[in-house]
Amino acid sequence: MNTKLSIALLVGAVFLAQRVVADETPSVDEIVAKTNRVSYYQGADGRAQVSMKIVDDQGRERQRQMTILRRDVPKDGQAGDEHCGDQQFYVYFHRPADVNKMAFLVHKHLARDDDRWLYLPALDLVKRISAADKRTSFVGSHFYYEDVSGRHIDDDTHELVETTDNYYVLKNTPKEPKTVEFAYFKMWIHRKTFLVVKTEYYDGQDKKYRAYEAKKVDTIQGFPTVTQARMTDHRTGGFTDLEYKDVKYDVGLPEEIFTERYLRRAPREFLR
Amino acid sequence: MMTTGAAIADWCARHHKTVTAIMLGITVVVGALAAVSSIWPDALPFLKPITVDTDPENMLSHDEPVRVFHDQMKAELGLHDMVVVGVVNEVHPDGVFNPESLRQVYELTEFAKTLQWEIDGQTEGVVEVDLIAPSTVDNIEQGGELGVVSFAWLMPETPETPEAARAIRDKAAQLPFLNGTLVSEDGRALALYLPLTRKDVSHRVYVALQEKIAEFGGDNEYHITGLPVAEDTFGVEMFIQMAISAPAAMLVIFLLMLVFFRKLVLVISPMIIAMVSVILTMGALIIAGFPVHIMSSMIPIFIMPIAVLDAVHILSEFFDRYQATRDRHKTIVHVVDALFMPMLYTSLTSAAGFASLALTPIPPVQVFGVFVAVGILSAWALTILFMPAYVMFIKPQTLEKFGAAQHDGEVHEAPGLIGRLLKRLGRLTYVQAKPILMLSVIVLIIAGYGISLIVINDNPVKWFTPTHPIRVADRVLNEHFGGTYMAYLALTAPKEEFDAGTLAADFEAAAAERGAELNDELPEAPAIFAELAQIAAESTQGVNSRDEAFERIAAAVNARLDTATGDAAYVWDEASLFVDQQRQANEVFKRPDVLAWVADLQRALQVTRIVGKSNSLSDLVKTVHRELLLGDEKEFRIPNTRDAVAQCLITYQNSHRADDLWHFVTPDYRKSSIWVQLTSGDNRDMSHVADAIDFWVGRNPPPAGLRHEWFGLTYINVVWQQKMVAGMLQAFAGSFLVVFLLMTILFRSTLWGLLSMVPLTVTIVAIYGAVGLVGKAYDMPVAVLSSLSLGLAVDFAIHFLARSRRFQTDRGSWKDTAPAVFGEPARAIVRNIVVIATGFTPLLLAPLVPYQTVGVLLATILLVSGAATLLILPALIRVLEKWLFAAERPAGVTCSCVTCLVAAVAGTLLIAISLQQYWQLGWTTMTIISLVAIPVFAVTCGLLSRRGACRVETPEIGETA
Repeated sequence: MNTKLSIALLVGAVFLAQRVVADETPSVDEIVAKTNRVSYYQGADGRAQVSMKIVDDQGRERQRQMTILRRDVPKDGQAGDEHCGDQQFYVYFHRPADVNKMAFLVHKHLARDDDRWLYLPALDLVKRISAADKRTSFVGSHFYYEDVSGRHIDDDTHELVETTDNYYVLKNTPKEPKTVEFAYFKMWIHRKTFLVVKTEYYDGQDKKYRAYEAKKVDTIQGFPTVTQARMTDHRTGGFTDLEYKDVKYDVGLPEEIFTERYLRRAPREFLR
Repeated sequence: MMTTGAAIADWCARHHKTVTAIMLGITVVVGALAAVSSIWPDALPFLKPITVDTDPENMLSHDEPVRVFHDQMKAELGLHDMVVVGVVNEVHPDGVFNPESLRQVYELTEFAKTLQWEIDGQTEGVVEVDLIAPSTVDNIEQGGELGVVSFAWLMPETPETPEAARAIRDKAAQLPFLNGTLVSEDGRALALYLPLTRKDVSHRVYVALQEKIAEFGGDNEYHITGLPVAEDTFGVEMFIQMAISAPAAMLVIFLLMLVFFRKLVLVISPMIIAMVSVILTMGALIIAGFPVHIMSSMIPIFIMPIAVLDAVHILSEFFDRYQATRDRHKTIVHVVDALFMPMLYTSLTSAAGFASLALTPIPPVQVFGVFVAVGILSAWALTILFMPAYVMFIKPQTLEKFGAAQHDGEVHEAPGLIGRLLKRLGRLTYVQAKPILMLSVIVLIIAGYGISLIVINDNPVKWFTPTHPIRVADRVLNEHFGGTYMAYLALTAPKEEFDAGTLAADFEAAAAERGAELNDELPEAPAIFAELAQIAAESTQGVNSRDEAFERIAAAVNARLDTATGDAAYVWDEASLFVDQQRQANEVFKRPDVLAWVADLQRALQVTRIVGKSNSLSDLVKTVHRELLLGDEKEFRIPNTRDAVAQCLITYQNSHRADDLWHFVTPDYRKSSIWVQLTSGDNRDMSHVADAIDFWVGRNPPPAGLRHEWFGLTYINVVWQQKMVAGMLQAFAGSFLVVFLLMTILFRSTLWGLLSMVPLTVTIVAIYGAVGLVGKAYDMPVAVLSSLSLGLAVDFAIHFLARSRRFQTDRGSWKDTAPAVFGEPARAIVRNIVVIATGFTPLLLAPLVPYQTVGVLLATILLVSGAATLLILPALIRVLEKWLFAAERPAGVTCSCVTCLVAAVAGTLLIAISLQQYWQLGWTTMTIISLVAIPVFAVTCGLLSRRGACRVETPEIGETA
């Protein structure tokens, strides 16, 4: 082949490739929005059997088993996948035996503080819990409430600091630093699926003290889903592993389940 | 023929340059090795650099059960030693609860979070996650709306208004684990607790905090305290003191000697000997790789007086004799000859006294004892070898006017004030012997009463003088708070021996019961639960642990659950739950009865009035329970069921500091600890609390077979103190016997041996009597000084008695001998007393109490033992003259049946005491062994004393024994 021609083709191909890549790179806002949807809003609702293993720095383990139900509150009667609005969560505990039947109900609001209820069967008590601060431990694990229900994307400013072969690396800086314990956090977002595979939290001294890692991803009903994840606290040396089993999307969970009334009377059919 | 002493002195005087060169050479080499290995650790890889260990915990060896337990519980419960920063504001009406004060507190907390350093590749310093400060702890309270529980930071940011500042105080006062801990009960002060990764960074933290605090203005007062700070700061100040006290003592001793002997060039020699002894000993200690501990830091202070003592004896004698011959060589040979044996024995006995400390079970005390002994022996060797050499360096012209002026042979007019007084004293002891002895007995009786009053107590914080910032902090904070001394009371469920068969049997019984219970609702239940028992029996076969057993049962049940349908599925669901309930059945600290007992135990702690505050799992459960039930004070209680307790605990774990739970209980809920805050760190008070709890637990038997056991620094101090008191007592008894044995051998007579023990005994009894009467606590320095008094008192006695005997041989009667003994020998003793007692007065200026104690006691020991030697000994000799000088025979020890037997028995006791400490044999066993041993010795001694050799040497004296 003519050398000149081949060089021209090659140059053209490289040029073309660069253009394609450039075209494919979405804006920071797009990345953030897609990531948010993939992480928390896939399907109109969802259900998972979650086993939690909390391990401390001495290797001592504690187990928890629960069912998590999620329902997206539709906007204008539309439960479209594009809409990322308010949500409802129902967390029902199976194990350990002494917290069996304990349940959490969370109404996540974008415009105001969440509503959170707790049902303690042994005290026959439904209790509202203030959710002003979502960065508290979720039932003694290394995950925070906010990690389970999702951090509001408007709470941080986002910055694309790096684009690698597989990931977009976002640096997120809180708009109100006093309300959170981190100075900023970095997310490694898979470029194809927009799943967060790694998150690292840094303190004021730029020291990484906390990290999330997706350990396993399965495609369920067409949705790429993290089925194993770990949160590590580098300060204490402990970590929590979450495993999602029997994940199901678009279950058709009725709205009424997500009310105080159903805390005492668990919706058994959706919990098994 | 020359005696050994004279021969050595002669040789050294002749080869004075060689002797000096060798001494200097050795000193330089040892000093250099120690210095080089410490300053450039890599230069001499075979030597370890100097290590400093100021941790009183190391008074116990690492494998001591209490330390092992302490370390284990600390690890299991994630506990750390803590620095306490108290913030007090006496000016503002709201105390520290005003915006400006709290702003400083917030800033200081943020600063404290950053106090971490890389040490040996590890990050050490403040444990950020466990830091207790208003901005780092959670508040649990009723939220704005009725019935809303809120977990939020107590002080997320600095409050803007006085109301907001006061609100922080009021919120914290509601929480039992913050009230009296974070916020003072009077609502005016607060305290930050800074846990440390390791104790020895506490001084660094202390200094950094003080620098930060210096930047703040305003009315806040900051007090930093806590045992680790006290201990670590003590270590640092100790070394500063070493650099001041020891040289200051040297200077004073030097000046005093100059006054006595008026010849600079001669007075320098004891200084050289003391210095070289200290360098050799400390050098050897460092080269041998032992850490410099609080105890070993005192070695120089102990060696110096003893080294000076030897040299002063020689100098004093040389001073008194020189003018008789005006020949340096002859005089020094004569002096060394006269003093050789007494000095050998004084050094041996002092060394033995200290070496006996090696028998105590306390590692730093062992090192201390052995190295002081080494120092004493090297001081002796230096005195004998170097003094003659040194004298030869001095030009005869320089000595022209040196020494006592009037001399006529052995008897000389006592020169100067001391001489005249001593002469009179000598006469007094001869004339008034019996009254003197009577008086001594009375003193001993009073002292005996004093000893009965002795309080054994120590408190590292009280090692500082009352005006020291640490003492001030301690006082102020303990006024405001429930106490800053931390001890922990561990409650442990007995370890279960796992046995698969037992587990299966228990499981079966419980399963049958549960199956029957469910019968009404679910008729299939009994059958399925019977099947469950079967599954349990099968799946636990050959299993090694409880956890594994339940894992297998649960897996088997879940497999059934997956395939079951209809009602059977419900029953299998119940079965699965039942399995987990059985697994959790051994979590004793979720049991309401156990928690109620813990709460009662805490009340018993409070009753002691020494405990200001205690925190436990019970408090935590009660608080959560109250806040779940609308904050009603009536609900501040343990809920009635296990599950309710568990649900309160999981609620608590929804806070910012979920892991705080694990400081109170282990995740298996079988070990728990009560955090006890004492207002006093006195060992006596800690012991009192421990005794009170033992008594209470005796009357209120714990549920679930719980065992209670203390740990924490405050308690560890008690344990090592108890060990030290007992150990010191035995070590002292041991050294007493060693000295007695040596004395008996030296004087070849039991009676003389006993006589030489008199000043020592009187001194010890008098000193400890005084300690008891004055109310001074028997603490570490006081305990150690008993060994020093042994060394000093016996030194005086030996010199006095040895010379008495020698003079008596020449003069025939005590009446003629006494004045001579009250000449030179007595003067040497008095000079020694004055020089050393005064020499250590600089210690009184030290800001560390143990140094002051050493200074005071050292002076007292010298005065008392000097007085006992110069008053009681001559009085006793006067009374016992007949027996003392009657049957004198220069035969071996074994030739006198009595002496031999006494020596043998003393030896046996010595061995018994030593073995008892090491093998922990009961005294009963020891007694039996002794009963066998003593008749054997008696027979052996009898035979020995009748042997031919003795008869030949002493043909004129028959066996009087």
